[in-house]
Amino acid sequence: MIEQIREKARELLESGELDVVIGYAEGSDPSRTTPIFCRKPEDTDKLVLDGRCVNTLPAYLNKRHEYPKKGWKKTGIIGKGCDIRAITQLVAENQLKRDEVYIFGAECEGVVAHPEKWDGSLHEGNCASKCSSCDVKIPLDTDFYPGEKPEVDRSGPYLVTAPALATLVKMDDEDRFAFWRDDFDRCFKCYACREVCPHCSCNICITDRTMPSWVDQAAHTKGVFGWHLTRAMHLVGRCTGCGECTRACPVNIQVDLFNQKMKEVIQESFDYKSGYSMEVKPPLITYNTDDTENYIR
Amino acid sequence: MSKGIIRHDFEPKIMGFVCKWCTYSGADLAGTSRMDYSPHVRMVRLPCSGRIDPQFVIKAFEQGADGVIISGCHPGDCHYNEGNYYARRRNLAFRNLMEFNGIDTKRLEFSWISAAEAIKFTQIIDKFTNQVRELGPNEGYRVLLDPYASRLVKSSEESAA
Ligand code: SF4
Ligand code: SF4
Ligand code: SF4
Repeated sequence: MIEQIREKARELLESGELDVVIGYAEGSDPSRTTPIFCRKPEDTDKLVLDGRCVNTLPAYLNKRHEYPKKGWKKTGIIGKGCDIRAITQLVAENQLKRDEVYIFGAECEGVVAHPEKWDGSLHEGNCASKCSSCDVKIPLDTDFYPGEKPEVDRSGPYLVTAPALATLVKMDDEDRFAFWRDDFDRCFKCYACREVCPHCSCNICITDRTMPSWVDQAAHTKGVFGWHLTRAMHLVGRCTGCGECTRACPVNIQVDLFNQKMKEVIQESFDYKSGYSMEVKPPLITYNTDDTENYIR
Repeated sequence: MSKGIIRHDFEPKIMGFVCKWCTYSGADLAGTSRMDYSPHVRMVRLPCSGRIDPQFVIKAFEQGADGVIISGCHPGDCHYNEGNYYARRRNLAFRNLMEFNGIDTKRLEFSWISAAEAIKFTQIIDKFTNQVRELGPNEGYRVLLDPYASRLVKSSEESAA
């Protein structure tokens, strides 16, 4: 599988059709892979693709990064199904033009929840929870796919997978508040959860702006509550559920619980699933005159 | 006739973010008609309910508000045609988010009030004020604002001791 991708990537880099191919290579230790930017055809020999490839590479396609501004006409990118969904969402949000990227896809068997848990193979004990209900193991939109791409039914709902979510929604407000207060106490605002997200598109994040300062910059619980509410609100209807924010958090805060919850709400209220269509508008930038308003007096 | 004055132990601080075309004019009408309503709401006039960023609400709670009310024109009446439709979607999401965070959504009110609905305006304000008064101070956020808040002794308890 990866051989075919390597071969195709090499061919396209040689012919000059692609300026760069973004993929994964062996990392600093055997349990990790690292993102790699292949600029020369021979770099493609380093490409790997397996259960350790956790990073969501489309984050690099987001305009807030340097790379899209480098003048590369066409960027190749290797994606798992869920990553490709992030690309689709970027296109739907006009952050990217579809013809600026060339997508290499392959069937995905799942990835580990965290590189720490890698013990040589992928099994139920260390697989990321998002993979259990994934319907894009065969990716949706690809330019290159090794072999025949089978048809998959993806009409079902987005299943919310984090086990913690079920317990949280059953709690009453006070307990939930206490849960978050305890968790957020650890957050020291490194903003890793923002940096890894393919959909945090702002050149200057609102939390980095100080005049006026909308989000308290200090890392005390008040500031952290403000930050997480803000971040979650900005990602409503846009998060494609890669789970990178939670994985990247150095103090194990399940940041994406907010996003998963909102995904559920958006699906129920507006029947929208992010990352499945480039044409359908994300829910908060459009409206229906008969939207629900059961909370309004 | 004005209502009798009742002294309460707790007077809530309420922030109002309202659209200037409808709710603010409705409030104006209530004022010029000398209608009586709870004085707890601090209103901020904005051009449209679509202009009301959830960030305002977060900030209001952070600054010690016990309740927040958002209000604008009825659907179809928006001065800019569609601002309130966006607001409706956004606030639905935002309410769910607040709830998931453990903030009682009874502290968050959303209402359509037109420029002619001075009576509805006073009713909504009164009702919401009572609702928030019953809930009491926004303890969750008080603790965030002041980590020692839970250890504070009320002055009445102090004098009793
Ligand atoms: S919010 Fe988290 S799970 Fe959602 S797209 Fe961003 S990084 Fe991925
Ligand atoms: S948290 Fe909001 S303001 Fe900050 S980068 Fe993400 S989307 Fe932009
Ligand atoms: S990654 Fe974790 S510690 Fe860093 S800002 Fe996000 S939640 Fe806080």
